[in-house]
Amino acid sequence: MRLQKDNLWYKDAVIYQLHVRTFCDSNADGIGDFAGLTQRLDYLEELGITAIWLLPFYPSPLRDDGYDIADYTSVHASYGSLEDFKTFLAEAHRRGLRIIIELVLNHTSDQHPWFKEARSSRENPRRDWYVWSETDTGYQGVPIVFVDTETSNWAWDPISKSYYWHRFFSHQPDLNFDNPAVFEAVWDVMKFWLNLGVDGFRLDAVAYLVEREGTLCENLPETHAIIRELRKRLDLAYPGAMLLAEANQWPSDVRAYFGDGDEFHAAFHFPLMPRMFMAVKLEDRKPIIEILDQTPEIPDSCQWFIFLRNHDELTLEMVTDVERDYMYDEYAIDKTMRINRGIRRRLAPMMDNDRRRIELLNGLLMSMPGTPIVYYGDEIGMGDNIYLGDRNGVRTPMQWNSALNAGFSWADPERLYAPVISNAVYGYQAVNADSQKRSEHSLLRWMRSLLQVRNAFQVFSRGTIQFFNPSNHRVLAYMRQFGEETVLVVNNLSSSAQAVELDVQRYKGYIPIEMFGRNLFPRFGNSPYLLTLGPYQFYWFQLRRI
Amino acid sequence: MAEDVLLSDDLLSQLMSVGEVDLLVGMSSHSAANTVRQALDAIEASFQRNFVRQRVVIVNVGGGDKDEDGVVAQGPGNLAEKVRLPGITSLRTSHRVTANVSSPSSPGIALRTILAAADLLRARACAVVSPAASNLTPDSVANLLRPIYREKFDFVAPLYSRNKYQGLLARNLLYPMSRALFGCGIRELFSDEWGFSGRLAALCLNQDVWHEEAIQARPEAWMGISAISSDFRCCQAFLGEKSQATKGLGTDIVEVLRQTVGTLFWCLEARQSWWLDCERSQPVPTFGPAHELTSDPTDLDRPRIFDMFRSGVTELEPILSSILDPETHSEIKSIVSLEEGKFRFKSDLWVRTLYDFAASYHHAVINRDHLVQALAPLYRGMTYSFLVEHSDSSTAEMEAASEMLCGEFELQKPYLMERWKAKVEVKS
Repeated sequence: MRLQKDNLWYKDAVIYQLHVRTFCDSNADGIGDFAGLTQRLDYLEELGITAIWLLPFYPSPLRDDGYDIADYTSVHASYGSLEDFKTFLAEAHRRGLRIIIELVLNHTSDQHPWFKEARSSRENPRRDWYVWSETDTGYQGVPIVFVDTETSNWAWDPISKSYYWHRFFSHQPDLNFDNPAVFEAVWDVMKFWLNLGVDGFRLDAVAYLVEREGTLCENLPETHAIIRELRKRLDLAYPGAMLLAEANQWPSDVRAYFGDGDEFHAAFHFPLMPRMFMAVKLEDRKPIIEILDQTPEIPDSCQWFIFLRNHDELTLEMVTDVERDYMYDEYAIDKTMRINRGIRRRLAPMMDNDRRRIELLNGLLMSMPGTPIVYYGDEIGMGDNIYLGDRNGVRTPMQWNSALNAGFSWADPERLYAPVISNAVYGYQAVNADSQKRSEHSLLRWMRSLLQVRNAFQVFSRGTIQFFNPSNHRVLAYMRQFGEETVLVVNNLSSSAQAVELDVQRYKGYIPIEMFGRNLFPRFGNSPYLLTLGPYQFYWFQLRRI
Repeated sequence: MAEDVLLSDDLLSQLMSVGEVDLLVGMSSHSAANTVRQALDAIEASFQRNFVRQRVVIVNVGGGDKDEDGVVAQGPGNLAEKVRLPGITSLRTSHRVTANVSSPSSPGIALRTILAAADLLRARACAVVSPAASNLTPDSVANLLRPIYREKFDFVAPLYSRNKYQGLLARNLLYPMSRALFGCGIRELFSDEWGFSGRLAALCLNQDVWHEEAIQARPEAWMGISAISSDFRCCQAFLGEKSQATKGLGTDIVEVLRQTVGTLFWCLEARQSWWLDCERSQPVPTFGPAHELTSDPTDLDRPRIFDMFRSGVTELEPILSSILDPETHSEIKSIVSLEEGKFRFKSDLWVRTLYDFAASYHHAVINRDHLVQALAPLYRGMTYSFLVEHSDSSTAEMEAASEMLCGEFELQKPYLMERWKAKVEVKS
């Protein structure tokens, strides 16, 4: 196993997010599986990512893309067997790739045996594993998450003739964490996977674990207590294993989930993502600086996870109404592109397939403080299919080559879990991994070099950030610093060439070395440092004092 | 740097940082240190409330005064924070640019600098406001910008709610005369607040007129007339109450006439090919309520105004004889001798008087500056007559009288055209 012994591995990681179903089908049934994924690990290793985050692969009725888990300790038959998973895990570790799996603790599928038992009778021992009520009037005022489909957080159970609480879809009843038995059951699930060797969990919907009357049932102290206990047990029994929080909240609210370094190791920085898109469209650094200014310090052992796109809609929960309207108008003028409070599109189509903007956004992602996540297919500029319904348009088969079904599967095209993208711009004949491997100037090859540079310097993952305030607001410039490593990042957010003068007096005498070409630039002196940048161009400079 | 370079390197550097903008608001903070902060707050609030998505900049033309410029130069992270409206935040960086112009500055220099900035920044909609105006509000700034930005107009003149005794020069001279001659019913061509498009800014900037005294004094009127006479789309927008104090008709009226009437006459000269062919005046689209009048009491010293009229006409007898048509001059001499109670300056005589002045300005029968100054006693006579006649008039009656005066100016336009085209032997 090539894995380095480092309990802070998640801070230096570059994560690749994928769904087993979407990646590679080894048995020609039209659905991706672990055996197929294992075959493609070399591709991921070459790309330069260091960890894989798997979306839910558990047995499930798949009414919410696997987030409705019906069995926590097995693999959905469509994706293979538990043995296939073990093989995949071993092969990934052999390549130095860590594996983060998804775990949904807040709720189960209504097809989970626990819920089947709970609803079977009011006397069943598992009755109290879920949140029941005689009426649907409790917890008034708690927001509904899926406003497009749900009208209440309570659902009527005709079998036990009472209401059950569900914060998400009505087929996803919430577990009752006030019951200690539920906690122990969940910990058993985690131990099961940790014993197999997984490196971390992405815990879904953690803000909603506990309900209390008179509150919004989010971020409650009791929820934090549960997480602290899980973390305590994890550190004792499985040091180095990581917990990643999915809490779509403002950074100041998410901050609590780091505790004193005794809750989550990492959490998503949700509000940064739409603001990166906004900044590029506005050609103005203001949105990014504002949100990072509002981001609190976190304990040394903790880390923000940042991303551009993922399997969900580009969430616009953490923006103002004005900002949301702007994002809709600029990135989702066609209402088909919108879902819930977000935009169901991939990176490349949102950037109008403009290579310069795609590169700039990836450059921002890789140079901002935090652990970056690359969503599968975005490294080659895959498109989406907004007509597939729900968020399935960004979950189409990975485009490997120009052969049948984009090389994803040998099944008949009609049998695929979703059609491959086949339009003239983003279709697999034009956009696929194999052709981009062969082209020196492809997006894939560029992404590889980007990750290579990023992975060579810990300053990107662990360094401090200090923004410059040049008068040209179209330029976003910041200094990253960690130990002896100092990196200057300068981004032109605009579609036109820009000049910028940076006050580098503090770094007088340093020589900037452009990190992709390793070219020397003039030494910093007393005067403001003049740089000119082409449209959407960015520079990463390593600063050396020689 | 060459002497004729308008923009300093410092200003150019600031503009480079701003880049292209959608909206530009310009102002001159010369001698307005006390009110400049209030003006900036109003503009910032207007941007935040009405134009959250737009790229915006404030251009202040200052005299290098540290107090004034210091306020303006404060970045958006400072002053803008203080005026941030609850729940509303502009999406973009808000810029302020300061152009230091060495004294003595003039409205013309300030406007030319603002136009140059607008042109370089490719601003779509611009407004000029006065930091000295206490009536400046976020809404009034938006009302100047919105018709340009959203409705594609090129020139926005302000409309105000005024005391009925305010703005008499505009009511009795500037508005009816410019409306009759240029065919456009803009009430406030002479104002320190107006809006304009980037297109119009570029046109005006490239005119070789900036050395003219008339342009230096009241460039806004020239800009408005340029818009009218170049077929740009013009409109008016209601800005609320005009806060300017009622001015007496003392000696400073001479300077006011030099600036306003002098500019109007200069524009007649410069745009004669347009107005000589212009047949009828047209109403202009108006945003917000129409012109409003209030009836607060006034403290104008009527007897003094009448005395100044009589003494002025008598003193300037030789000059007036060279300016006025003999018949006009004779009629004026006859009303000068009337007792105060019987005195009336009838509108047909007033119009003929002004047209005589305009024609004589055109023919340069005497020094043009002296000519405009000679209008002062006659204007006082007209004002006295107006105050007496309308001491008890309702606002509706005053509006009706104003409309009749406009009609008189239009009716007698052929008289002016005849005198304008006549060959005149200039006395040496």
